[in-house]
Amino acid sequence: MTERIGVDSIRDCLEGVIPATVATCAPDGTPNVSYVSQIHYVDSAHVALTFQFFNKTRENVLAHPRATVLAVNPLTAARYRMALEYLRTETEGPLYESMKAKLAGIASHTGMVGVFRLRGADVYRVQRITQLPGQVLPAATPHRNLLASLRACAQVFTRSADLAVLLEELLAALARHMDVTHAMVLMLDAPGRRLYTVASRGYPQSGVGSEVALGCGVIGVAAEQRTPIRITHMTAEYSYSRAMRESAERAGLGASLETAIPLPGLADSHSQLAAPIVAGGALLGVLYVESPQDLRFSYDDEDALVALAAQLGNAIRALHEAEERGHRASKPAPHARAHERVETDPEDARKHRPDREAVPLLHPEREGGEGRVLAADHPVDPDDRGRGEGEEDKPRNEQREFT
Amino acid sequence: MILRMSAGTAAPPLLDAEHAAFVLLAGISMTAASRGADNAPQLGRAVGCRVSADRARVTVLVPADQNPELVEALRASRAVAVVFSQPSTHRTIQLKGIDAVVEPAAPDDRERAARWSAAFVAELAALGYDARMVDAFLWCDPVGLVAVSFSPCAAFQQTPGPGAGAPLPR
Repeated sequence: MTERIGVDSIRDCLEGVIPATVATCAPDGTPNVSYVSQIHYVDSAHVALTFQFFNKTRENVLAHPRATVLAVNPLTAARYRMALEYLRTETEGPLYESMKAKLAGIASHTGMVGVFRLRGADVYRVQRITQLPGQVLPAATPHRNLLASLRACAQVFTRSADLAVLLEELLAALARHMDVTHAMVLMLDAPGRRLYTVASRGYPQSGVGSEVALGCGVIGVAAEQRTPIRITHMTAEYSYSRAMRESAERAGLGASLETAIPLPGLADSHSQLAAPIVAGGALLGVLYVESPQDLRFSYDDEDALVALAAQLGNAIRALHEAEERGHRASKPAPHARAHERVETDPEDARKHRPDREAVPLLHPEREGGEGRVLAADHPVDPDDRGRGEGEEDKPRNEQREFT
Repeated sequence: MILRMSAGTAAPPLLDAEHAAFVLLAGISMTAASRGADNAPQLGRAVGCRVSADRARVTVLVPADQNPELVEALRASRAVAVVFSQPSTHRTIQLKGIDAVVEPAAPDDRERAARWSAAFVAELAALGYDARMVDAFLWCDPVGLVAVSFSPCAAFQQTPGPGAGAPLPR
């Protein structure tokens, strides 16, 4: 077996489902072995390890830049040994922010803010990946080809010239072509402090009106850090966090912990993926999907959602620019104008959906400045029926500012 | 044959009774490491553990056929580190030694490894992991087992959190 195994091929091993272990050696030759909370896929030849508590590993690689990692595919049980060469520690930039955000998202929802702290992203070159002999379960035949699904979803961008219709069709396409049945689109408010849901699909309640503060939780951190955040095994990470919290409480750090905030959306969300919607360097919002299943979203799903979020950002920007050409009088903030355009231009929506009434994203008169429920047109998944039935959407008590 | 008495019989073993009980717990996860040529770190999973009655000697069972580099490194350097972690609590300790010896597995070691594997599958199944996957993950040929024994000369608390890395209290 001389064919080289690339990191791309074993990304499923880097989900932390079965914690990886890393061995290093001190300059005097003393070996050290510890668990790794997160191995981050960087590219086909590089990975990054979180540097937070396991200082001995980092101390060793700074002096002697070699490490060996054992990683396991949580679906097939295939085991791999990765020989790594430590290159550098990044304490800023996209990689650091991406790893920090994932860690921060976990911390935020488990009351570990201020305890869980990424000191650095330790970047390693992957010198060699060896598969260990042993039993390997057959990989399940994928239900779909994700590239074909991505292509099908991307078709919505070739049809829709109206934001409300576009979002509705995009969420419908995610359900139809990717089996993603719980999804939301959130937009950044004008002050740039909060995200609010403007479209959703798959919830008993529309979710519209739910808010996430920038920097809070998986969605808020994805927006703040402008990097995709993906959690694949909610229970395990909760449990991991709780272990750390117990350690922190024992060390007398209990007072600095915040209260755990329940997630919006699914009460029993086990897989979450938030992709920031960015265009022209400006954050517009977040495309968020979730599932009650563990391991629902893989690195491949993350790639697909990021690709769709990029197209969505460009579509919103193009709609805004088209609107700007038509209305040169008012000068609201760039990211607010996309919403305002939808709010003030229901005719356009009607034009593209002649069979239905226009669905503005925002309608101050009718809903007190609230977002409009796009999910109302969609059938609720049978599994979700009954949860929260009869409840009203909570009114939003804050008037949006678009100045 | 010359019988040698242990030199430090007066000193209490590094491993106290509580920690000895912990490393022997059913379902504890174990990974052993050593240094190879050029200080290259080597590691591999262990599938069972025993502790001598006086707690001076810890033995972990390593599938040699799956981890030839690790076993070679242990033989050559005699340096060893083993991390023990309980998946359900994340409680973790690491033991280190400089006198590792690789020996054929004892007659009852195969049975010990089988008991350990069953307990580990149960521990992970209780956490929601697929038992079939854990079974495959643990699979090893019992014929390939070797016993790696060492006298712990350093021990560290490694439960995730601010206290990780501190030496175990003696």
